[in-house]
Amino acid sequence: MSAPALAPTDRRRPGWRAWALLLPMVAWLLLFVVVPTGILFVYSFCERDEVGGVIFQFTLRNYQRVLDPVYLSIFVRSVGYAGLTTIICVVVGYPVAYYMARATEEKRNRLLLLVMVPFWTSFLIRTYAWITILKQEGLLNGLLQSLHLTAAPLSLLYTPTAVVIGLVYAYLPFMILPIYGSAEKLDNSLIEAAYDLGAGPLRAFSAVIVPLTMPGIAAGTLLVFVPAIGMFAITDLMGGAKVPMIGNVIQNQFLQARDWPFGAALGVVFMLMFAVTYIILQRRGARLAE
Amino acid sequence: MKSIKTALIFLTILVAPVLLRAAGELNLFGWSEYVPQEVIDGFTKETGIRVNFETYASNEELLSKLVAGGGAYDLIQPSEYTVELLIRRNMLAPLDRAKLPNLKNIGPDFLNLPYDPSGKYSIPYMTGTVGIVVNTEKVKEPIKGYLDVFQAKHADRLVVLNDNRELVTWALHTLGLTSSDVSAANLAKARPIVGAWVKLVKVFDSDSPKTALLNGDVDIGIVWSGEAAICWNENKKFHYVLPVEGAHMFVDSLCIPATAKNKAAAHQFMNYIMRPEVSKLISDKFPYTNPNLAARKLLSAEQLANPASYPASSKLETFRDIGAAAADIDKLVTDLKSAQ
Repeated sequence: MSAPALAPTDRRRPGWRAWALLLPMVAWLLLFVVVPTGILFVYSFCERDEVGGVIFQFTLRNYQRVLDPVYLSIFVRSVGYAGLTTIICVVVGYPVAYYMARATEEKRNRLLLLVMVPFWTSFLIRTYAWITILKQEGLLNGLLQSLHLTAAPLSLLYTPTAVVIGLVYAYLPFMILPIYGSAEKLDNSLIEAAYDLGAGPLRAFSAVIVPLTMPGIAAGTLLVFVPAIGMFAITDLMGGAKVPMIGNVIQNQFLQARDWPFGAALGVVFMLMFAVTYIILQRRGARLAE
Repeated sequence: MKSIKTALIFLTILVAPVLLRAAGELNLFGWSEYVPQEVIDGFTKETGIRVNFETYASNEELLSKLVAGGGAYDLIQPSEYTVELLIRRNMLAPLDRAKLPNLKNIGPDFLNLPYDPSGKYSIPYMTGTVGIVVNTEKVKEPIKGYLDVFQAKHADRLVVLNDNRELVTWALHTLGLTSSDVSAANLAKARPIVGAWVKLVKVFDSDSPKTALLNGDVDIGIVWSGEAAICWNENKKFHYVLPVEGAHMFVDSLCIPATAKNKAAAHQFMNYIMRPEVSKLISDKFPYTNPNLAARKLLSAEQLANPASYPASSKLETFRDIGAAAADIDKLVTDLKSAQ
């Protein structure tokens, strides 16, 4: 009764003040997302000159080249790597996130901090640390050999395994945090209800807990899959630059090969793929919520 | 008294950046692992000119950013074939010889080479070769050339430069061709060779190929001679071999882009690094072949005996500008690497 008398419509509709608050964000999006995307789109229909400049002359050559089986197979391979990374992140990250969400508040905050700590160091330095661990005469091989688990050093660095290790390491927190977010909100009484109605732990998990934390899994999947597919630094540093992913090919077009229009065309196709993935995930999320 | 001193120090700290700015800035765009920080610091200390140093890992990357960045760079460090291309495209400013008296220190063998016949646009920074480094503790059989390196038994034991033109040139050499024989027919002949080679390579790295060798992840490398020289300095088990099928020399130069804003500072920097004692510092850190004969006199006997820095060889060919074929080479290597 003591609440100020506000008409319900005023509360629901964002007024001009709300839009003013959004202005910096809108300007930022316009300047750094919409405009660059527009430039990318225009470039993708242009020709290149000898030194690597862009000539404004309409062509579909770049999109024809994207459809070359070589690049399609790279797309497929990148999706494979990113998919594997995402699956490992879900499998490894889910128990961690769930445990964190169920822990006491004090413990929870400490665990959350531990998930964040790696972000205090530069990503490249952390990747170089992995090189020190995985190299032939590195820490891991030294440990394995001193424990007499392996006779000869294992070849770990500069292999596809190293790339997946690097990707999982880099993106695991982006899976843990959203799942944690939805697991924390999980209503305990619903799980109890499942047990009361005769569900075993497995059934309660698959029929109640997983669907209720699905928004977290979906968000985590998006946050891991999308950047992982375009990553190029890890494949260069830990993969020896020999297992090209689509990110490497695009980066290459802008630097080494100096074919900006082709790089732009790859980028546009790539972005369309993201958009489709996103829409599919959104749809599924909406359907599950119903 | 004390407070006056403090105030003075405080004032100096406040004013110093302003004074430095007055002396100007130099935007240097050079190779990674090539310009020692001491040299840059020494130049700033002496002239007050602040150096903004940005790096790249291939001539192609340099071109790409030069075309995109316009007038942002005052001094660049292209290799010979890129110098030739930039001259042809009118992208370089002519040098003022009167501002470069230290040019007298450079050996005549390194001046007025075919890519810049009148020496109007470039001065040599460092030169070197591309050759084979062998870890002789792991590889017992003799390695003489590219064909000995790219053997099935060496699969996953190789590091090579991540440089498309280099890779294709090595294949051309095994066919008895030169680096300039890049007709479509010749590239078609080189294609299956490069295709087989890329499958054997474990690491492609142009920035610091020595790392994989020193870490023991690979046993053989085809790398810049300066990188090979560092390996040899670390451990004498690393031998350097100039490939029998044919090797080439590169001359990394300093040039001023036509759009440079601070050409005076660029000349100053060029002249500075041609001083014998400064050039020696570069050789100490990055042991390539120093074209500065006065600086070579300051090097130790051990430095001069490094077989990778100063290989016993006759004059080698240099890359030439190959025009549009460069794009064909890029496409060829991209396709082959992607097809694995």
